[in-house]
Amino acid sequence: MSDLLVMLFGKPMGIMLFQLLSATQYTIYLSAIAFAGGGLIGGLVTLARISGQKHLRRFASGYIWCFQSVPLLMLLFLSGLGVPRLMGQDVDPWISAMASLTIYASAYLAEVWRGAIQSIPSGQWEAGRALGMRFFAILRAIILPQALRVALAPTVGFSVQIIKGTSLAYIIGFQDLMNIGRRWANAPVDGTEPFIVFPLMALIYFALCFPLSRFALYLEHRLGTIGKTPPAATA
Amino acid sequence: MFKLFRNLAIAAVAAVGFISPAAADLSDVLSSGTIKIAVPENFPPFGSLGASGEHEGYDVDVAKLIAKDLGVELEIVPVASKQRIPYLETNRVDLVISSMGANPGRAKSIWFSSAYAPFFSGAFATGDMAISSPADLAGKTVGLTGGTLEDLELTRTAPKSAEIIRFGDNAATLAAYASGQVDVLVTGNTVAAGFSKQNPEKGIETKFIIKESPCFIGVKKGSFDLLQWVNVFILHKTLGGELNTLSEKWFGQKLPPLPVL
Repeated sequence: MSDLLVMLFGKPMGIMLFQLLSATQYTIYLSAIAFAGGGLIGGLVTLARISGQKHLRRFASGYIWCFQSVPLLMLLFLSGLGVPRLMGQDVDPWISAMASLTIYASAYLAEVWRGAIQSIPSGQWEAGRALGMRFFAILRAIILPQALRVALAPTVGFSVQIIKGTSLAYIIGFQDLMNIGRRWANAPVDGTEPFIVFPLMALIYFALCFPLSRFALYLEHRLGTIGKTPPAATA
Repeated sequence: MFKLFRNLAIAAVAAVGFISPAAADLSDVLSSGTIKIAVPENFPPFGSLGASGEHEGYDVDVAKLIAKDLGVELEIVPVASKQRIPYLETNRVDLVISSMGANPGRAKSIWFSSAYAPFFSGAFATGDMAISSPADLAGKTVGLTGGTLEDLELTRTAPKSAEIIRFGDNAATLAAYASGQVDVLVTGNTVAAGFSKQNPEKGIETKFIIKESPCFIGVKKGSFDLLQWVNVFILHKTLGGELNTLSEKWFGQKLPPLPVL
């Protein structure tokens, strides 16, 4: 693969492209892990946020407020550089990046999903209770299918933010696309000046993010866009 | 419920394993089979990314020699200046070979080996300028990189009529001197040597030395065996001429006598 690129573009461009593309896989892995983990934890926090118990609601509120206020960069600093300094022991950049991005994603996704669930008219909840269903049953059968349509666009929009957020992980030494690209841009090698490397990286990030947005559009068409569904009957 | 707690506890214990073990001293390095060495991310000719996509430079070559003599795999960790000491203290790297000068402040946190590379910061200008001490800089424009050793020194010793212009990094300082923006270049000898090679028509020469600051290898505090080994390594390579060969390759000068700690 690297030989093919070197043959096509010559050194050092071919080698640089190969390194950038191999580093992109780590960006993809980190984004996927952050989205999955953040989605899981965000889902739990959403449940706590809309639950009947006051203390659970307060805890979820506090969690969301805290991690929406803290910049992602600071989370990365604290976990990747602060903790090693305090404990005197190295923390693997992977662990630190995964933890920071997961927490960051969970706070934002929880808020998006809470908004989607609360946008469903309360008549739906009442109808479910009238049928004798309990909280989780109503959620699963009635509320979530409707909330899905509302939540789809912001969730995918945020997953694009996650991909861009992974670019901050270079601070803690995480070897992703941004880190490798910066290294080449700073290198005193002809043909790898910043004005060549950074547009290339922008293209790669675009190639990662654009399909996601198109996929969201496709899903929205499949599920029926919000304007086309008739409003739910309210008492 | 108990099962949940038990599984969480197992996961927590397993997660601890992700934190890298402290491969700090010589025996740990030898048994793990890999040595992690920090080298300059972008400071030619000590260390920088080469056209082949691999890091190359004087420090990188010294690191390769160390790994060869130890008989272990080498893992190069390119670092920025600020990261050198933290990475060493938190065991992310075992050695720091990154054009590091020794001073009492740093010595509070880490141990230093004997010097392995020459480095001095000085004032450079063309032959026709008669400058032999900071006082001769009166009325001239001086270009240097902000925040460096030479910046601190010259700010103290230069006369008031000398105009000191500080730039963000070495590249900007050199560009300013090449374009004639400044009369005198104040920087490290290796940077000036590189500039000389690329612009021989400028004919710059060393006017006076501001600070001798040879480079030392950084070792984590407490890794006594590793420190002793590194010092023997430096002695052996100095006497054997390998360091001299590297010095001529990367600095274009013979290895001068270096201080021994």
